[in-house]
Amino acid sequence: MSADTEPGLYVESTIIMTTVRVVAPFVLTFALFVMFHGADSPGGGFQGGVIAGSVVMMLAFAYGIGSTRDWVDIRIVAALASGGVLTFATIGLGSIALGGTFLEYTEYTFIIEKASKYGIELVELGIGAIVASVAIGLFFLLAAGFGHVTDEPREGER
Amino acid sequence: MTPTTVEIALIAFVLACAVGAAMLKDVLASVMAFAAYSLGVSIIWLVLQAPDVGLTEAAVGAGIMTILFLLALANTVRPDEDRLFEPVSVRTVVGVGVFVAVMAASVPALPAIGDPTAPVTGGEVTQYYIENAYDQTGVHNAVTAVLAAYRGFDTLGEAVVVFVAGIAALSVLRQEVFA
Repeated sequence: MSADTEPGLYVESTIIMTTVRVVAPFVLTFALFVMFHGADSPGGGFQGGVIAGSVVMMLAFAYGIGSTRDWVDIRIVAALASGGVLTFATIGLGSIALGGTFLEYTEYTFIIEKASKYGIELVELGIGAIVASVAIGLFFLLAAGFGHVTDEPREGER
Repeated sequence: MTPTTVEIALIAFVLACAVGAAMLKDVLASVMAFAAYSLGVSIIWLVLQAPDVGLTEAAVGAGIMTILFLLALANTVRPDEDRLFEPVSVRTVVGVGVFVAVMAASVPALPAIGDPTAPVTGGEVTQYYIENAYDQTGVHNAVTAVLAAYRGFDTLGEAVVVFVAGIAALSVLRQEVFA
């Protein structure tokens, strides 16, 4: 666990890989449950998002951070983060466009009957997308370390 | 209100972990003590009947933060230490002691847990939420109702803060994570 063994940080283990392969779908399901069911039980977007993000970290521990980074399309992560903000803002501002006030879910009752309940769940899902993708981004950022940036043009300004 | 055995045990556990996180010389051991501290605090939230906060503390404090700390440690040098604990500075002990004493002095002024006459339950806004949240929002968790409906503008701000902080950290460190 020292700096000179940086490439050897990852230790391949059949036990960990098998366990993660079995557990990961359940953790992801639990994350979505916490997000969706946050309207009726403890939980919500922030907590569910962190749990969803931890699935990627589990995979990285089992299969190596480098290969997980290659496997996770980083454009999807970026799209999730931006999409979450857009979802929340669209729902909030959309009700103003429909003649209500900010985030007045009842303006959407012409689309779906229980607009308030489903609107809240959509907002929680948006928050979850933001939190999960930021957590994944920070994880890969810290995992990359800062030593490999050799073509840094303004190193002295840090 | 006298604390139960479980509460006393939890508080002792959390205090021991906090002192361990502050005092242990080895950074890895310190991170572990900090994770245990977060887990203890999350269980205390559960005992205090705040499961939403407890879930957040367990997921963020004990989960993600520990992983990020460990990753940071893995990318830095961790010197071997002979001593188990940091040397204690008298000035720090006095400073922290005075701070803790001031904070502790305010504890008896707090209303008891679940006290119906506590100022927060008597407030007009709280009563409005308690009476109308379930009917008006159609959800069965009042915390979610307040977060995502009544105080939705605040929550949008919080979500954007997470988003902007993530983007800013990645931009400052010039990583191509968010391509």
